[in-house]
Amino acid sequence: MHKSTLLIALAVCASLLGACAQFESKRGVEVNWQDTVTDELVNGTSTRKDVLTLLGPPSQVIALGDETALYYLFEHSEGEGLILIVYNRMRINTRYDRAIFFFDEHDTLTEFATRLYPADES
Amino acid sequence: MKVSTTRIPYLLLTCWLLTGCSQWRYDMGVPISSNNLPAQKTPLNEVLQLLGPPLRMSASDTGFIMAWEHWDIRENSIGITLGALGADFFSADWGEMRVKGEFLLMTFDHRHLLTSATHSDWDNDGGGGQAIQPFFSFISVVDVEDLIGPMPQHDWGSLLLQADLPSALNSGSNSDTGQEGLQQRATPKAVGQQSLEMD
Repeated sequence: MHKSTLLIALAVCASLLGACAQFESKRGVEVNWQDTVTDELVNGTSTRKDVLTLLGPPSQVIALGDETALYYLFEHSEGEGLILIVYNRMRINTRYDRAIFFFDEHDTLTEFATRLYPADES
Repeated sequence: MKVSTTRIPYLLLTCWLLTGCSQWRYDMGVPISSNNLPAQKTPLNEVLQLLGPPLRMSASDTGFIMAWEHWDIRENSIGITLGALGADFFSADWGEMRVKGEFLLMTFDHRHLLTSATHSDWDNDGGGGQAIQPFFSFISVVDVEDLIGPMPQHDWGSLLLQADLPSALNSGSNSDTGQEGLQQRATPKAVGQQSLEMD
């Protein structure tokens, strides 16, 4: 084979043999606010103790005068990349699973809401 | 000057080793639908049903504040370096950043009724630069660090336990505690709530 053809073939092969990367990062509290869990909670009846027992310690406690709010956050980033040396591309998607619970001055649950992305449900 | 055909592969290989183009894409959160913003006096539970829990929340004098956000950051850079040839003493770089985002801010009174809702979206040049660095690469021409950091809720507990006195005094003015207002990503320290903190 001609030397120059061989070099071109090598360069093309090197380009095609570029690397790829995949990674994920998870931060925050363990996700325990699936519907099957929060179905046990009832506004006006459940207490802060019930929520803490089911979900564990929150990411943040917010004092709202006589009320309090417990805030749970789980941050999930997924990245994938193509590394060809000449051209490199990385894409990182971050999603936030979260839950918030409001309690009155008697520690009774008044309102709550949750959001969970399908990938984190299991 | 005519270049010999046998040299073309060498030239191509050299160019391939010297140059690089990088694209980074950060997609944080999900887009916010601003078509049907809730009307004033909408109860909190209806807002939460529509939008889910907020990403940021803080107490306020008249009730509380909630915010939802979505960021789409695009960083492009191209550089020439001798690093691939084993000589890490020269680099020439060019980079730019594009920032798209949405922010929805809502305020509620003590009865959990919506008092105001504001939606903003932007698509801006986020900066960039060029550099020729002959010996070592000291400077990154695109800086996205303050835009892609983790949410402040992860540090809430440790923030309250900071032992050194100035920091403890500062916690009352820190926007990440959820008691003293909130601020968007990338807000400079010299403006807004954080300007009340002591250095």
